[in-house]
Amino acid sequence: MDRDDIFRKFHAEACIGCGRCTYACVAAQRYDGFSPRTVAERGLSGRGGEKVTQLWSCTSCGACTQVCNVGVDFPQLIRGLRSLARRDEVPMAAHHGVLTAVGRLTSSPTLRPRSANWVTPDLQTDPHSHTMLFVGCVPYFDVALRYIRDDLLDIPRAAVRLLNAMGVRPRLDPSERCCGHDAYWAGDDALFERLARENWQTARDAGVEEIVTFCPECASVWRDLYPQVIGDTGIRVRTMAEVLAEAIAVGKLELVAGEDVVTYHDPCRLSKGAGIVDQPRKVLRSLSELREMPRSGLLSACCGTSGWVDCDHTAKRVQVERLQEAAATGSEVLVTACPKCLVHLSCADRHHASELSSRVRIEDICVLTARRLHREPVSSTKE
Amino acid sequence: MTDVEPWQPRVVAFCCNWCAYAGADLAGVSRRQYSPSVRIVRVMCSSRIDAGLILQCFEKGADGVMVLGCHPGDCHYISGNQREEMRVQEVWELLDLLGIGRERLVLKWISAAEGELFGSTVDSFVTLLQSKGPVGRVTDGP
Repeated sequence: MDRDDIFRKFHAEACIGCGRCTYACVAAQRYDGFSPRTVAERGLSGRGGEKVTQLWSCTSCGACTQVCNVGVDFPQLIRGLRSLARRDEVPMAAHHGVLTAVGRLTSSPTLRPRSANWVTPDLQTDPHSHTMLFVGCVPYFDVALRYIRDDLLDIPRAAVRLLNAMGVRPRLDPSERCCGHDAYWAGDDALFERLARENWQTARDAGVEEIVTFCPECASVWRDLYPQVIGDTGIRVRTMAEVLAEAIAVGKLELVAGEDVVTYHDPCRLSKGAGIVDQPRKVLRSLSELREMPRSGLLSACCGTSGWVDCDHTAKRVQVERLQEAAATGSEVLVTACPKCLVHLSCADRHHASELSSRVRIEDICVLTARRLHREPVSSTKE
Repeated sequence: MTDVEPWQPRVVAFCCNWCAYAGADLAGVSRRQYSPSVRIVRVMCSSRIDAGLILQCFEKGADGVMVLGCHPGDCHYISGNQREEMRVQEVWELLDLLGIGRERLVLKWISAAEGELFGSTVDSFVTLLQSKGPVGRVTDGP
């Protein structure tokens, strides 16, 4: 696809230049030089949309398309332009490029990653189960981002614990590869397709019928993007937020409600990407009092940065603003359903604490829910 | 064919300017033979080598990486080598997770006077890699 095809395919020609996208855009908030409208305008006037400065600062959160009057698919437009731009320019990697390198290294078919080393003896998994918990890159976060949070492995552990409580013993892929989400949105189609085929082959060979993820990005990739490469996968994909909401609705999960007040940050892929807005709220309401932030649901704010590229002080400013918004609701806990949002917000909370008048605890929805599992009193005779 | 050359690993050795690189130089001027598999990259301080650079080496086709710096207390920048030790520990964990294995990354302190130590460190690492074989990877480096 050349540049003109990209602009045509994603309806950039329909842009009327109203500027609604700019007001919704987190990257435009960070940089004066960038706005979704500028990308469309420059492309249409023949000045090369892929040469827009800060093309890599777009988080592909989809807020622009959410508010667009004429239906320009800005995230896909920018993704297309990135695939052209990456021939000349690579994005500035965050965290020394470690997490990008993990994606590329795990795409090697001869490499057998060993990332399932977090399973503790109390967690029940079944190597023959038809339900697979796709863990994603959290085990790598636990090493590379430990200085931000040292409890990141609690998320996969909590997910298994919750599934166990519902009577599900999930399978884990002992040598799971990166899902390819970041490669896709960075316009690296070759790497994405390689990862898609590797992961799909593993799941197919194992006879997996259902995939559960606690990461909305992995879910979006399995549900919406792999079919573009492979065709119908025949695999049912659900996020933990959906699984939990369903289990609570049918009474499969016994939870102990608490007195605390929480607020919820919608991850982009879950809310704007998949329209999953009510389910996590149902889960949280069954645990605590839920107070909404002004920017929530489909018009939620983005956590500031994505794809492990282009993170700087402007991204921190966005995150600090979000933390202040959360604290202003009077909540003690800011809950999110995406490990990356969790890391980004925790980073701002940790490194910019002096800018925060009051602080909130930042928690993942699985960890919070697993902590409220109704536990039967432990007896020595029980297995 | 019987006279096929044995497989040679590709090793990247990051040497700090002040100690390990001078050590490698001493090995050279003293005519200490060491394995030609090693490619030396001079850096001002071992702490310049972050986790991303080491992983990139493996991505581009290295079979082993060495990070060689000054002995603790000898760092030209006071504490660079201590920082590097922390970074390497992180990469060891990542290499285990990735299935590459931590033994393919070596951290060693070599002073400017230790030419012999440089040669023997390289030789023993290359021998180890020869026994382990290549890392599985998609792209083959030059």
